[in-house]
Amino acid sequence: MTRYGGLGRTRPKKLTSKASIPIVREHEIDALDDEIQSALQQIETGVEKAEESEFHLQAAINAAAQGKDNDAHIPTREVITSDIQYAKLYPPLFSQPATYIRFSSTVEDCCGCPYNMNEEDDAWLKNFNSKRDASSQCSEDDFEATMNFFEETARAKQPFAAVDSPPVLSFADMAEAMDAAVEDNVKRFAKDVYEHWKARRLATENNSLEPALKFETGQDTDDSDPFVCFRRREVRQIRKTRGRDAQSAEKLRRLRKELEDARQLVALVRQREVARKEMLAMERTLFVQRNEVKEMKRKLNIKDDDEDLIHQKPKKKQIEMPPRQPNAPQLRMPLKPGLQGAEDLQMLEDLQSEKENEILRDIRANIAKHIKWNEGYVDHTRAPLSPSPERTFDAATFRPAFTAQLPTPPSSESSGDMMDTSLDVTSPHFSKDKLTSRAMELHEEPHRMPSFRRRVGRGGRLLIDRRNVVSRCKVDLDSFKADRFKYDQEDSDEEPIYDTDAHSIQIMQHRAITMAKAREQAAVAAQAHAQAQAQAAQQRRLQADQAGSSQGANPAPNVVTASSEA
Amino acid sequence: MGVRDSGEATGTPDPVEKGLATVNTITLGVKAMVQKDGELRKAEILSIRERKGGLSFYVHYVDFNKRLDGKSNSRAYKLHSTARIDLSHEVEWPRPEKSDKKKSAAINKAPSKNAPKQQRADSREVSGTPDAFGSKNSNIAKTPRPSMAGGKENRDTPGGDVSMVGSEAVSSVGTPKVTDSEDLDMTDAPFKEEVKTASGEVITREEEIERLRTGGSMTQNPTEVHRVRNLTKLQMGKYDIEPWYFSPYPDSFSDVDLVYIDEFCLSYFDNYRAFERHRSKCTMVHPPGNEIYRDENISFFEVDGRRQRTWCRNLCLLSKLFLDHKTLYYDVDPFLFYCMCTRDDTGCHLVGYFSKEKDSAEGYNLACITTFPQFQRAGYGRLLIAMSYELSKREGKLGSPEKPLSDLGLLSYRRYWRETLVELLAEPNREAMSENELALLTSMTEKDIHETLLVNNMLRYHKGNWIIILTDQVIEEHNKRLEKEKIKGSRRIDPVRLQWKPPVFTASSRTWNW
Repeated sequence: MTRYGGLGRTRPKKLTSKASIPIVREHEIDALDDEIQSALQQIETGVEKAEESEFHLQAAINAAAQGKDNDAHIPTREVITSDIQYAKLYPPLFSQPATYIRFSSTVEDCCGCPYNMNEEDDAWLKNFNSKRDASSQCSEDDFEATMNFFEETARAKQPFAAVDSPPVLSFADMAEAMDAAVEDNVKRFAKDVYEHWKARRLATENNSLEPALKFETGQDTDDSDPFVCFRRREVRQIRKTRGRDAQSAEKLRRLRKELEDARQLVALVRQREVARKEMLAMERTLFVQRNEVKEMKRKLNIKDDDEDLIHQKPKKKQIEMPPRQPNAPQLRMPLKPGLQGAEDLQMLEDLQSEKENEILRDIRANIAKHIKWNEGYVDHTRAPLSPSPERTFDAATFRPAFTAQLPTPPSSESSGDMMDTSLDVTSPHFSKDKLTSRAMELHEEPHRMPSFRRRVGRGGRLLIDRRNVVSRCKVDLDSFKADRFKYDQEDSDEEPIYDTDAHSIQIMQHRAITMAKAREQAAVAAQAHAQAQAQAAQQRRLQADQAGSSQGANPAPNVVTASSEA
Repeated sequence: MGVRDSGEATGTPDPVEKGLATVNTITLGVKAMVQKDGELRKAEILSIRERKGGLSFYVHYVDFNKRLDGKSNSRAYKLHSTARIDLSHEVEWPRPEKSDKKKSAAINKAPSKNAPKQQRADSREVSGTPDAFGSKNSNIAKTPRPSMAGGKENRDTPGGDVSMVGSEAVSSVGTPKVTDSEDLDMTDAPFKEEVKTASGEVITREEEIERLRTGGSMTQNPTEVHRVRNLTKLQMGKYDIEPWYFSPYPDSFSDVDLVYIDEFCLSYFDNYRAFERHRSKCTMVHPPGNEIYRDENISFFEVDGRRQRTWCRNLCLLSKLFLDHKTLYYDVDPFLFYCMCTRDDTGCHLVGYFSKEKDSAEGYNLACITTFPQFQRAGYGRLLIAMSYELSKREGKLGSPEKPLSDLGLLSYRRYWRETLVELLAEPNREAMSENELALLTSMTEKDIHETLLVNNMLRYHKGNWIIILTDQVIEEHNKRLEKEKIKGSRRIDPVRLQWKPPVFTASSRTWNW
């Protein structure tokens, strides 16, 4: 309406936020109509409606609109400098660290004893101390600790004191609450301070002595009481379902178990430490006694080395050894009771071979598992743990060629591995070597020697594979050019070079498969295309026939487009 | 004698009943003319207390901010009394159809308190002008508190149109006005509790609480909160401060003359000795959080409401004294508090803060903001606002402060918005800009930008096109500001010094986990 007052008939264009608006200075354009006031009225201030009309706010808004920011001032209440002894209350203790402060202690952490004595307490304490000599006086800190203990105990024992106003706790109740955790300085003056505490509690109708905020009490009056603050939200969250119950029960059980475990652990640690302490004490007495022996010997003029002192130590170790040994092969030791000497030696061998067998069995089982997992997949990683079944098959057919033709014995590791796995592993010794070689493979530099082999491909083709062939382009490069690529390969000394794999059977096989697939697809696609073309041609012919019959010798262009769409 | 009658809030449909009153017939909710600062202002009686030899009224000046509310005395010779009710003028009675003033005080006090409240609820619904009718709470039963209000607004010399002398009787009897049996309805309202508890107003209260529950924010407009200031004076750091509004400090604090606030941990004491003892033990020297910003003058600390519950509660209680529309209905957990400090060898002194929801559904980047009165009018508010936008920039979000704004908040924000926009627009070689671009550069919402341009008369429709005009006035202000900065050094937030990443909260830690 009047917002765009001077514009009259034409409605202004809508202004979108993305629209770029030219910026001009006031003097750059001709005078504009004054519709300032009407525009001003329309904008929400965001202030509570009832307060918008407030005198000072309106005055300030108007002043601001006229550019007098300094007049745009709303009077507030007074602040004066306090006559408090600031320096005494706030000692200059702060030194700013060079880095930004990080801090997580809470108010409670920083404030010491939460009870603060007031003038009344002060008077009582002075009076109390005046009757006692210097050694048995109650300090302010002790007094506060004691008062705090009473307050806390009362809060714990009468949590609803504010609602049902029970009688003040008796001293007997207080004494009951004094367990080991309560400090001595509290206990010392408890009896004396209690009377004072009780008197003060009685004066406040057994309310807490420290003024406290009002929190929810669960009563209906809570909602309307303006002093009740900091309520908990989310009443809904406690909705009960059977699932949630079970969940919480489970959580509680777990928590309990964890706590119990922790407790157990601590108990065991304690036990261990106690035992260690005993041991140390024992050792010490031992040493002392040895020392005495030595002393005695010296006295009796028996000359000998310090063996009494030193020699014992190896001995002691020997004593200590046996209990440690059973730890490792615990199960096997008792198997051969009463055997000594040479038999022990044998046993070690057996043990080792048995262990090895176990490992091998394990590996074989794992390989079998892997093969099962990989069923339907081809593992094309380098040195796969479980070569795919076809590959093992391939390897088997290649074997004669491989063994016969390979001039450089241990070259093609990957294919060798493949073969090994297909081989029946006969001796543990052999497979052990195999294991190590496989392990080495990752760390050892691959052999740089060029190597070749012959194999028979599909359809009886004869193929020669080569690897580690010195690339010729390297030779072609002059040293200056070669220098450019000097750092192209990082850590070439350290890392195994994988590019040799380009000629390995697996990769080539894979390539062959994918290419075959691609060829197949291409063939299918070509076929489809040919079919489509044939169809299209047929259609065209049909349409052309129709068109010819209906429109005579005028092949309409729309016919052509139609056919191309088809 | 400049009588300024700002008039009844517009839109009140019913004619207001007027008439002469005596001190004995004045009740809560009555609007009378009060002599203040040499002029007459219309004021609503919010609380009546019996004092030795007279009545003390707590009044709200209609059309003035509540922070100026204060005491008015019925006695002529009290030197410290600050304003007096002038009964030679007519007073406006609370809306008659709901009033039950005929009820004698002896029978029941509560209904007379309920009545205005009920009215208030109605008036809000009908007219949308919540210009208060009733008082929510009366403090009649409370122990008298010495009248100490001596703010610069309330300073006055005795004298003037005192037309009555103190009378001993507290009575709400005597309005010869209509009473029907409507007060029977009132008895349905639950008013079983202490006198000061606001009862009644059932419907609105439920609405209010519902709004608080669903709103999820800190600034609401809790109509139930006391409209009467409860603390007399505050001692904090080096200053004595007069509070502005009610804050739910412990009940007993309303009886003491001076409440001590520890400047660092913000704990509160009604007793000097206790405060002194506390100070001897307290080791806190800065807000208990991580410093996220530091320059030559100030530091900012980020404090998590959930981790520092006590400190943040203390902070909220304190700031409630200066924020009318802050509510402490709910706990501080879902908020982060960004606290600005000045430093010296005693520690980092809290100058002001703003709070921010960990996850604001409405896209607010700030919930409550205040510079404490002892540091006001020194440009700190601007820094706080600037920081709130700096954080939004880091978050890559646009933000706006939560509404409603206070009067001071509105002024500060409008000024910040204007200055920020003008600074951008006045950059050389700027020829055109969209509101969206401005928003991306400032993190202000497009709405705020649009309105700021309109308010400052910078967005105009000229010859069929929208243009932004840098008026001579804003350019002049801008230059003035630059000059001032040259002399005084610039007070700005330097983004480089802000070591802050938007904190990430899990759903549970964002809300109420305990």
